[in-house]
Amino acid sequence: MRAEDPVRRLFSPDGTLTDNARGSLGLDPEALRDLYRKMVVIRRADQEALNLQRQGQLGLWGQFLGQEAVHVGATLALRDSDWIFPSYREFGMAMCRGVDPAEMLTLFRGLTHGAWDPRRYRFAPLAIPVATQIPHAVGFAMGCRFKKTDEAVLVTFGDGATSEGDWHEAMNFGGVFKAPVVFLCQNNYWAISVPLSRQTAGSIAGRAEGYGFPGIRIDGNDILGVYAATRAAAERARRGDGPYLIEAVTYRMGAHTSSDDPTRYRQASEVEAWSLKDPVARYRSWLSAQGFLDEAFQQDVREGAERIASEMREKLARAVIPPAGEAVYGHVYQHPSAQFLREREEFEASLDQS
Amino acid sequence: MADQTFNLPDLGEGLTEAQLMSWRVEEGARVEVNAPLCDVETAKAVVVIPSPFAGVIRKLHAAPGQSVDVGAPLVTIESADGGAEQSPGTLVGYGPGGGPESGIRRRPRFAPPAAESALADVRAAPFVRQLAKERGVDLASIKGTGPGGRITRADVESATETEPQPATVPGERRVSVVGLRKAIARQMVRSVSTIPQFTEFAIFDATALVEARARTKAIGKSITPLAYFVRAVAASVRAYPMLNSSWDDKTDEIVIKPAVNLGIAVNTDKGLLVPVLRDADRLDLSDIVEKGTRLIEGARAGSLSPADMTGGTITLTNVGASGPVETGTPIINPPECCVVGFGAIKPRAMVVGGEVVARPGAWISISVDHRIVDGAMATEFLTDLVGRLEKLDG
Amino acid sequence: MEATMAKAINIGLRDALLADPATLIFGEDVGALGGVFRITDGLQKEFGEERVFDTPLAESAIIGIAVGLALRGFRPVPEIQFDGFIYPAFEQIVSHVAKYRNRSGIALPITIRVPFGGNIGAIEHHSESPEAYFAHTAGLKVVAPSTPGDAYGLLREAIADDDPVVFFEPKARYYLKGEVDQSLRVPIGKASVRRQGTGVTVVGYGPTVLTALHAAEAASKDGNSLEVIDLRSLSPLDIDTVLASVRKTHRAIVVHEAPVFCGFGAEVAARISHDAFDQLEAPVQRVGGLNVPYPPSRFEKLFLPDVDRILEALHLVMAYG
Repeated sequence: MRAEDPVRRLFSPDGTLTDNARGSLGLDPEALRDLYRKMVVIRRADQEALNLQRQGQLGLWGQFLGQEAVHVGATLALRDSDWIFPSYREFGMAMCRGVDPAEMLTLFRGLTHGAWDPRRYRFAPLAIPVATQIPHAVGFAMGCRFKKTDEAVLVTFGDGATSEGDWHEAMNFGGVFKAPVVFLCQNNYWAISVPLSRQTAGSIAGRAEGYGFPGIRIDGNDILGVYAATRAAAERARRGDGPYLIEAVTYRMGAHTSSDDPTRYRQASEVEAWSLKDPVARYRSWLSAQGFLDEAFQQDVREGAERIASEMREKLARAVIPPAGEAVYGHVYQHPSAQFLREREEFEASLDQS
Repeated sequence: MADQTFNLPDLGEGLTEAQLMSWRVEEGARVEVNAPLCDVETAKAVVVIPSPFAGVIRKLHAAPGQSVDVGAPLVTIESADGGAEQSPGTLVGYGPGGGPESGIRRRPRFAPPAAESALADVRAAPFVRQLAKERGVDLASIKGTGPGGRITRADVESATETEPQPATVPGERRVSVVGLRKAIARQMVRSVSTIPQFTEFAIFDATALVEARARTKAIGKSITPLAYFVRAVAASVRAYPMLNSSWDDKTDEIVIKPAVNLGIAVNTDKGLLVPVLRDADRLDLSDIVEKGTRLIEGARAGSLSPADMTGGTITLTNVGASGPVETGTPIINPPECCVVGFGAIKPRAMVVGGEVVARPGAWISISVDHRIVDGAMATEFLTDLVGRLEKLDG
Repeated sequence: MEATMAKAINIGLRDALLADPATLIFGEDVGALGGVFRITDGLQKEFGEERVFDTPLAESAIIGIAVGLALRGFRPVPEIQFDGFIYPAFEQIVSHVAKYRNRSGIALPITIRVPFGGNIGAIEHHSESPEAYFAHTAGLKVVAPSTPGDAYGLLREAIADDDPVVFFEPKARYYLKGEVDQSLRVPIGKASVRRQGTGVTVVGYGPTVLTALHAAEAASKDGNSLEVIDLRSLSPLDIDTVLASVRKTHRAIVVHEAPVFCGFGAEVAARISHDAFDQLEAPVQRVGGLNVPYPPSRFEKLFLPDVDRILEALHLVMAYG
């Protein structure tokens, strides 16, 4: 196992990135600053989306506040050609892949079930039923193997997902077929109101061994740690050495969604404690200590984030409402039957044109 | 600058209201976009609502502690924002609402049933058909006023409605006539009011018939006199096809029917029914017995199909089946030309070879449509019929 | 007392926990949080973690353990958080919950609670109407209340029933207020005539009953008298109440949110056509969802059967003369 595990040697036993590893990532100052910028931007966008929900512009929003290090670190560690299979919270990742945030939000404005072209961004559609995306990712990865490409696939999910049958079945398939897939668990401690201690009695990372491949538990609020682990696991997969499970420990700072009230099931003190480990603040400190960060840069980043947030707001308000026939009937079949087309015609003819 | 009113959104997937807990701004205050406006409590959570507009707070529409419906105004802000599409506060997540859901106006999705041509079928719903059957009315005789000529319940009802009842005089008893009896009554009125009918009478000597019956009975076969009557009438009708016809009012034509479909009048407890023996002229005696028996039993049991009850071209009935009654004047079954009535076979005084002797005999009375058959032909037909019955040669 | 449907179910669960110590409530977020719709609010606090507990995120196992618990003598009331998440549990429900008695002689007194239906502006998988799959499965009883009072009475009855029941709760009606009488039970297999009428029978269940009542009110202004029947129970189906109505009105409309194609309405329509054929003056009309996946919420009102679509169907049945 040791010989095939290029990830573990980058980390101390407690899941922190070794200084050596941190230094040898090969990221120049520009790239390092870019990681910071992206975290700030996606955080600002996440906050704006929540505001928009409170203002009735979105029906729902699930914040990823506190998980920015995973979203940015994991995405940037991959090649652009590597597919990502998200759950339903990975909007920071989508933005890092280049999805326009205003487009992304149309999902929550009730205009569409699919707000981006998966093939263009190599970013699979949202998967709301928990863990259902994981077998998809494994199958895709198996396909890459069959076609003998050097693609890697990243599938991400929460701690709750590791209780679902789909997770276990997919992990097992991944091992059996040596699929080039990185299983990235964002262990944000809460599955709505159910804490990790009630979700599992064991270790998430430790399960990988049972499925025939390595797993590691790392600090998910250290962006460079996430970056390092993901890159190493992806490279291993590319080489044909099979899957890897990364359990990135982080915290869901916000509510499950805008319909949720976390004060009912968790303590403010716990949230407070985790805010001290805030990934953005930590990285800012480190960057500053390296001399890569100054006030001018921070100002620039802040203003850039504000601009993106207000652009997102404006664009969303102008979001094109597709014609009803197209939205309701237009995407169901590749080759619709005559009966289906007749029903679509009847439906469209029945709509009041005025 | 314009006043923009922000309505309370559905904050949690299907909520219908929220309670305002406190305001974080005052009227007249200037706010930026996203500035916290107020705290509201929903069924699910306590939520801080950020301002959608930058501007000056014009009016707060609810007081702390007040319940606000989703979609109701929360705050009005005088703002330079807005411009293009002014999104209402509750853009998404309308919530199920409490009032009637009027929804989106639409044109009807499908057209009502169009008038389908080329169907010879009578178009009536099952219930309407059932109603017509109960009232004994032929749907083919009703003009439908429904879409595409459909026969409606109202059509059947008005076709069969009774006259308004006059007041009952004490001592009188009123018997309501419905269903089959009513239908028969209508037929009789139609017959005597449209067909000029006259009747001729004859007695035939039934000696040969009685002997033939005795012979067949001896070998275990029972053949009723009716079977012999049917065979004879069918044969006579073949010889005199004019009696197997119908007068066409519309064209003043006599329509001579090709088949001899002999209706046999049967008394049932529902009334007089006339099942039809088809192609009676092609049946031999045993066929007539078999088929005739089935029809008569079926009629009494009420189990015959419409096919058994329609298509008759001439009718046989009995008149004077018992007691002292000898014969009578049968009424034609419209739109036929002739009805043949038989009396009972019993001993009668006849003159044979100058002597008065007692011989079995029965009366035959035929009523015919004078438009089609005159006295001379009626007499010939009746004579022919008597001859066949007396000689029994088919 | 007057209560919302959510509250009525909450009280029903509490009364069931009190009435029978074997009753257990479990599922995702039902304990500490009190449920995503607060239906189980306060119950864990009152009855403790051994009677009301949160489970890991695993629908199949939630129902699977319910089978085991039932065998061990408990009366499980598991919750599936949303209609669209019932599918991992489909195997356990159809292969085992429905068939256990048939296979072993042992009845499983399980009541599976599921919020269903749309019209709440939600994202994918939160607005489904999967009731037909379960009504189609012998061995299960399937019910859906439409009012707070019936939600209470039907739930108490379902939990007390020794046969397994799938209890569909119309989530769009969770905040509807109505009279709740804790002494009243609603028998399974008995429909209710919600509004008397003489012209057309309208059959609905769950969320469409209120819609049908609104349609009846609108129709009455044009002189059309609609009789509205709330099935309450899909399996067993009280077709006799429906037939008695159709014998009076001679016309029928069935309304549900699920797509019309192969929806539950087809069973009702076929039964009416078969058992009341000679009473019909028009074919039975079905009003329901379009034959497409539930659309993005902006378009859901075009998908769902609303008052206008029921009135359209009324127009059609009357057009037969």
